Amino acid sequence: MEALQYWMQGFSVATLPINLMFALIGCVLGTLIGVLPGLGPAAGTAILIPITFNLDPIGAIIMLAAIYYGAMYGGTITSVLVNVPGEAASVITCFDGYQMAKQGRGGPALGIAAIGSFVGGTFATFALMVVSLPLASFALRFGPPEVFALLVVGLSLVTGLAGRSLLAALIMTFFGLLLAMIGMDPVRGAPRFTFGVQDLYDGVGFVPVVMGLFGVGEILVSMEQPVLEVIKTKLSDLFPKRKEWGISSAAIGRGTIIGFFLGLIPGIGAIIPTFLAYVVEKKVSKHPEKFGTGVIEGVASPETANNSYANAAMVPLLTLGIPGSPTLAVLMGAFIIHGLTPGPFLFKERPDVVWGLIASLYLGNVILLILNLPLVGLWAKLLEIRYQYLYPGILLFCILGAYSLNQSVFDVTMMVLFGIVGYVFRKLDWPLAPAILALILGPMMERSLRTSLEMSGGDLFIFFQRPISAVLLILAAAILVTSAIRLMPMWARKESKN
Amino acid sequence: MKRPWQIASLIFVFLSLFVLIHSFSYPYKDRLGPGPGFFPFWMSIITGLLSLGLFLQTTLGKSDPTEKSSFFPNREGGLRIVLILASLAMVVVFLNPLGFRVSLLLFLFFLPIFLGVRNWVVIPILAVAGSFGVFHVFYYWLKLPLPIGIFGI
Amino acid sequence: MKRKMFLGVLGLLGLFVFLTAAAAQDYPNKPIMLQVPYPAGGSTDVGARIVAAVAEKQFGQPVVVVNKPGAGGQLGWTELAKQKPDGYYLGMISMPHMLTAILDPERKSTFKAEDITPIISQALDPTTISVRPDSWKTMKELIDDAKKRPGQISAGIVGYLQDDEIGYLQFAEGAGVQLRLVYFDGAAPAITALLGKHVDVLFCTVGDNYNQWKAGKIRMLTIMDKERSKFYPDLQTTAELGYPTILSAATRGIGAPKGIPQPILKKIEDVFKKAMESKDHLDKLEGAAQPVKIMTGEEFNKYYWDSFNVAKKWVEYVRKK
Repeated sequence: MEALQYWMQGFSVATLPINLMFALIGCVLGTLIGVLPGLGPAAGTAILIPITFNLDPIGAIIMLAAIYYGAMYGGTITSVLVNVPGEAASVITCFDGYQMAKQGRGGPALGIAAIGSFVGGTFATFALMVVSLPLASFALRFGPPEVFALLVVGLSLVTGLAGRSLLAALIMTFFGLLLAMIGMDPVRGAPRFTFGVQDLYDGVGFVPVVMGLFGVGEILVSMEQPVLEVIKTKLSDLFPKRKEWGISSAAIGRGTIIGFFLGLIPGIGAIIPTFLAYVVEKKVSKHPEKFGTGVIEGVASPETANNSYANAAMVPLLTLGIPGSPTLAVLMGAFIIHGLTPGPFLFKERPDVVWGLIASLYLGNVILLILNLPLVGLWAKLLEIRYQYLYPGILLFCILGAYSLNQSVFDVTMMVLFGIVGYVFRKLDWPLAPAILALILGPMMERSLRTSLEMSGGDLFIFFQRPISAVLLILAAAILVTSAIRLMPMWARKESKN
Repeated sequence: MKRPWQIASLIFVFLSLFVLIHSFSYPYKDRLGPGPGFFPFWMSIITGLLSLGLFLQTTLGKSDPTEKSSFFPNREGGLRIVLILASLAMVVVFLNPLGFRVSLLLFLFFLPIFLGVRNWVVIPILAVAGSFGVFHVFYYWLKLPLPIGIFGI
Repeated sequence: MKRKMFLGVLGLLGLFVFLTAAAAQDYPNKPIMLQVPYPAGGSTDVGARIVAAVAEKQFGQPVVVVNKPGAGGQLGWTELAKQKPDGYYLGMISMPHMLTAILDPERKSTFKAEDITPIISQALDPTTISVRPDSWKTMKELIDDAKKRPGQISAGIVGYLQDDEIGYLQFAEGAGVQLRLVYFDGAAPAITALLGKHVDVLFCTVGDNYNQWKAGKIRMLTIMDKERSKFYPDLQTTAELGYPTILSAATRGIGAPKGIPQPILKKIEDVFKKAMESKDHLDKLEGAAQPVKIMTGEEFNKYYWDSFNVAKKWVEYVRKK
């Protein structure tokens, strides 16, 4: 079997001491970058590209891929510990992860995230080796209409996050959609709702908004009753409780599959797999109402999906030369700078690079696990710093993160403003998650709708003429209808109260 | 929570109206389909209806007596929040003119003081580390530009 | 009195010349920012990083690549136009992208073409007409087919009113056909769409499709340039096929806010020219499938304004519809 031979060759390359060292350095650097809220794996990877200039191509690629990985885990750390997601992929982890941290269970949360990430990533790496090309061609069938339909399904799942009031959740969803309309429209590039403010031409900016709503907003809320009694975490608390292992494993399993398949579709973005995994987990759970209060599977699932997705997204990159996310685009840029152009030709021309990278991805997973599990205790201890120092410190990094996106104070301003907005919504008990989701998915939806109509010459039926998109749209409708029906009793109850 | 929800939903009704009116200034249709004005138009109408619905639902429903949290924070908490927001606002205003190092030095120095600590060893050390130290790491090591103020700091 | 004034002015001029020359001697004495108005990882960004790495050795000061993405490059260029023309803030400019952003009234740009001084070009990436290997074999076949069913053949275009669209418009005018346009905001989704059979034709540049061509997944019918591409030596140009007026390319280079003192400008030009001509730079850019074309001074300036006029023609044409 040729694949096995390549596999072995890849491992022999990846386990060269120097390459192992590069992977290690990359993981550490990446984690540090990811821990910085707002900096994001894409920017972080870009910053570190020059470091790799003097290395040989394979070593450089290995290090960069490790940075990419590490950064993702770093983003998880901030999501769990301070409710600030480093980028889209970590948003969902905030929901239950942060709650767990507040209850002194930051350790288990980070631990299960590390384990889940490892499992998801490893599975995806192996699957990568086996199925790359055939699955990649299947994924090509996802054109704009299919993407649109998938996004509609994604948004319809918002009903799974409804919480106290379905109407409030829906309003927040549309609030996110409206926010997403600020900036250049995807149709003609005409600025909308910018009111002459140049900085708004590209929209409000996802990262400052999320950092504001989640991070700054959370700090403001905490300021009302700051925790003076710090919960000291014991070492034994660093691992999930025995009964949690079972449910976590199942969650990890589900997350892996969901993340992997969605990762094959180029350009989807990390939030859909993580969100989908979370909602699926909630739907199959015996205690759905506990989601959002700190259930471990609420962390295990999206984190696993995230890594599984990230690895699977390498497939379109390596086989077709199509980067599925901004960070992968940076990685691809780095490849190119080193004279290696990802794509089908790279497989044939330099199998040592490709398979070496794939094997290194696997090793990177292992390294991260070994690196991070012990560190989990350290991170959790960070939360024990008294709030008068901790919160200003967190705010420092939020300011840093928001500024360094575009070297713009405007982004910092946005973050602060949305911090206030986030505080208000938290006090109202209106859910923030739907707004974030809509903010990300909105522009993608508008763009794919528009492109689909361009393809069909204005004919709406294109969505139903193509099998995949038709199925997805029917699925979305089914989800919406069943949610509405299930929530009917809530309506009835409210009526009868009068 | 009745009153705050009513106010919030009304604010959204007015926001939707605002967006709706503005959406008329963008073309609704394009030669191929929805133009830039299409989505804002429909989104704002739906949002407006939803907000109106929530307003009515809240107004007509009974207030929940088991509700424990009120909307506004207590005096002490409110003061802390205002102080933090004021500090953040100052950073935003002074970040470019005074530069990163000075702005954050002041921020990291005064905020812990506002929040109640008086440790004159730790505070200055952390303030310097967080401003000058961080600047050094980012500007010189990572080559990430951070604002330098008019005094060249 | 008059003589005193005359001497005074002469003295002042002399001082001025001396100071600017001295400044040029002195330049650069701190890091130089090279702004990329696109997200990290794209072809402009890659090109910028490669040239920055070489140039900074000759400058003796770091050349820091700064990403300021947004609004298809508009945010970055707007920012660039506002900077002090002291030679410490330069930016990557793309034609016709920057020019159409300026010319299209809907983009509401706040800077003009004369606010930016083009310094040196790095790459000239001509537009190609690409199809899948199993479809039309020659441009003639495509044109004939398009005449039979106007507006039915779907054609992908990267970017709104950018080089690919201008390429299409030239093609449509020159060949007298009309295709159904589908816009993509990046090369990756566009190529994916062509490979996945969501569009049948793709107008894209060499940098965009080289990879896929090497793998045999894409074929090209023509390239819109005056001479054959060194990447595709067997590909006939539009001129060879009888359509010499169909020309289009994405040109990338370095520009600065207007008003840089001449000595400093010359130094920047010289250093970057040497950097771009270096083997390291040439090899790396070629590896990235970017056709290098170095133009400076008057030649680049002329190219800039020629592109401006072409862009102007097409923007007005499209906006009238």
